[in-house]
Amino acid sequence: MSAPPPLPTTTHHGKGAAGLALLVALALACTVAPLLNDGAGPLRADRDPVLTALTDGRGSLSFALLSGLLGAGLGVAWSGLAIALGDRAERRLMGAAARLVALPLALLVPLGVGLTGGGLPVLTALVALSAAPLVAGLAHQDLRALLRRDFLTAARAAGRSKGALLLHHLLPNAVRPLLAAGAIALPRALAVESLASLLGLGLPSSVGSWGGAVGVAARLGDGLALVPAALLLALSLWAFHAVADEALRLAAEGPHGGPSNGLPGGSAPDARP
Amino acid sequence: MTPPTHAATAPSPHTAAAPVSTQALTLLAGDRVLIDRADLRLDAGQVLSLTGGAGTGKTLLLRALAGLPLPGVTLAGQARTDGRRLLIAQGGRLAPQRPLALQAADVIGHHLGLDASAALRRMADALDRMGVPPAARRFDLPPERLPDSLRWAALFALGIAVGPAVLLADAPAAGLDPTVRLRLLHRLAEWARSSATALILAGRPEDGLDGPADARLCLHEGRVLPTPPIPDPLPAPDHAHHPAGAAVMTAHGLTMSFPMGTGPTGEARRLTAVHSLDLELVDGETLVLLGESGSGKAMLARALLHLPAPSTGRVVWMGRDLTKADDATLRRVRRDVQPLFPDPAGSLDPAMTVGAQLTAVLESLRPDIPADRRPQRVVETLRAVGLPTDTATRWPASLRPLEAARVGLARALMPDPRALVCDEPLATLSAEDRAEFWDDLLTARDRRHLSLILTTERAEEGLRHADRALVLLMGRVVERGSADDLLHHARHPYTQAMLSAARGDRPALEGDPPSALRQPDGCTLRQRCPKARSFCAQAVPTLEPVGPGHAVACHYWDTP
Repeated sequence: MSAPPPLPTTTHHGKGAAGLALLVALALACTVAPLLNDGAGPLRADRDPVLTALTDGRGSLSFALLSGLLGAGLGVAWSGLAIALGDRAERRLMGAAARLVALPLALLVPLGVGLTGGGLPVLTALVALSAAPLVAGLAHQDLRALLRRDFLTAARAAGRSKGALLLHHLLPNAVRPLLAAGAIALPRALAVESLASLLGLGLPSSVGSWGGAVGVAARLGDGLALVPAALLLALSLWAFHAVADEALRLAAEGPHGGPSNGLPGGSAPDARP
Repeated sequence: MTPPTHAATAPSPHTAAAPVSTQALTLLAGDRVLIDRADLRLDAGQVLSLTGGAGTGKTLLLRALAGLPLPGVTLAGQARTDGRRLLIAQGGRLAPQRPLALQAADVIGHHLGLDASAALRRMADALDRMGVPPAARRFDLPPERLPDSLRWAALFALGIAVGPAVLLADAPAAGLDPTVRLRLLHRLAEWARSSATALILAGRPEDGLDGPADARLCLHEGRVLPTPPIPDPLPAPDHAHHPAGAAVMTAHGLTMSFPMGTGPTGEARRLTAVHSLDLELVDGETLVLLGESGSGKAMLARALLHLPAPSTGRVVWMGRDLTKADDATLRRVRRDVQPLFPDPAGSLDPAMTVGAQLTAVLESLRPDIPADRRPQRVVETLRAVGLPTDTATRWPASLRPLEAARVGLARALMPDPRALVCDEPLATLSAEDRAEFWDDLLTARDRRHLSLILTTERAEEGLRHADRALVLLMGRVVERGSADDLLHHARHPYTQAMLSAARGDRPALEGDPPSALRQPDGCTLRQRCPKARSFCAQAVPTLEPVGPGHAVACHYWDTP
């Protein structure tokens, strides 16, 4: 048999592509910025505020990536465990996730750091934990929808073993929705870390952070230092959200243009005229 | 009134008096002709059905008559409507979260200039017309929290309350059970006749709109044509196919129930979808399971395949008890008994090509076929169901509904089964595609001597090709017999209502099916049944024989 023909792509991915391009550009700029800086200290009045803000971005973006990925992993593991443990445990675990999502977890991070004395590992764990319930809820919905799909029933009717079901049917179709659910953890991690740093309870000043830079600039009344950091933070949050939205949309489309949520999609049983 | 079948097809000298008339109405999108010189005329109090497949221009024509042509569509010729006109848009669109009372007050107030209380009184009168009992009138609820049937009834009532001279309904009550849909449409048509409103019901041929109509037109390739008469909507069963032989599948005391948590007193609650049901399938037989949505037919079909296994009871295939079967035995049974799903596209793995999925079936169920012969086998099976061989390289998302249905059939036929359990396999297909797929399915049945179990809510389709039928209501069999018996001598009011709906007549059942969570005591049909008496609330009727092979579960089946 010949290779499967590609499907024509008709979807527009403008917002997601713009978000991704912006994130790449920011990451590159943040990486290059220290090379352009003359090593000026953070409080020197003659430093370039944009270069300083870009330098601070290294800390914010790296930390968002680290804690976001950790939160995403925790959330996905949470939902997977809930489903694997059976009905009662699933109800309890997902009920707990729903209750936690309703809480202002972003405020609990600086509180936790303040109470425990802080430190990067503690902050990372707290930020990841603040993002995990939301990811768990989304991942659980996606996994449940996937498990209800008739193609899995059809595969069972075709005598496929449990291992084959998992490896050949469930996992390939779960990757997109789980990645999409996990993607939402990145902007959340960045926002939560920035809030904590703004309050002086986030990343240490040696690491640098947009939230911390905004906090220091606000305390010093330094508008020139505040604007670039705040602007870059806002741009990064928009870009992360745009990428996460796009990931959710792609996940809803499913692989090869098919629906991933059981709803009629590309090959819909013809929509009424 | 002008004779209906002609009134809607040709302009008459009295065109000026007709609320709806068009002459050579042509709809164009740029240079492309969408509707070509449509001539139609509708008198006051006349009901017209306008049917056509997907994309034939029904919505375009209705919107043009409503004075709401789609952007980019230009009109040529003449289209005239007299008096107030109202369009019920496709899908029965109401603001999903705004309480019904506010929407009714807005719409009726806008058209008639009434205040909110007068508008709601008018709406209540209209709901009376639609047969919605006072207890079911939930004005305070938003439409998204209403059952579909009540939402449609409210929408029709809104139209009635406004009292237009011309009411245009696009795909009215689509998606409802035929019994419920036909009841609502007949009530709407009766109102239109009594209030001298010109009513156009537009939809697909299979929606049963011709039944309540006085005049029938269809759209075909942009032309408005008279609907060809249907010789007999309920023909006799196909007697060329005679099943004979021993029972290949039996089910005893099969029950499907699901935990529903605990009740207020701490007792475990369960939702029972199928109640202790017995079934037998004879070699080569076609057995149809008829029932409305929620009757348990799909759950029964899946339980027969152990997808999932029944809660209690047992299924025996060729002497093998599936309840006690190990993996190898179950795999052997799956080789013999294959399913067809209600959404064929959804039953295909979107991440695998068609060929890969068919090959996987062979790997699992036919390990005796060498790997190098599998591609040839895939190609042969695709050809056998009328698909080109390059379908094997396609992704499921690129398949049209009929192609997806055929791929589903090909997958089921791959292991050379002896029986197919088909759960509404035509549910997503248009009328034309249904006819083609029926041919494919029956050809496969006859050539391979397959036994078929087929679930459907369409009595006419099911009984036409079946040998025997079970009629299911809320998880219980209420009538069973040969297809011929059920077609011509149905005894149960529920079966009779389904057959009435299939003929386009008004079903005798009133109201909607009760919720599975709050089933009434005794007979579950009694709240809708024209024969119901007080005793019906006291005992669940059991099947009693009324003829050879024909049994009915109704306390008063023999009363007029």
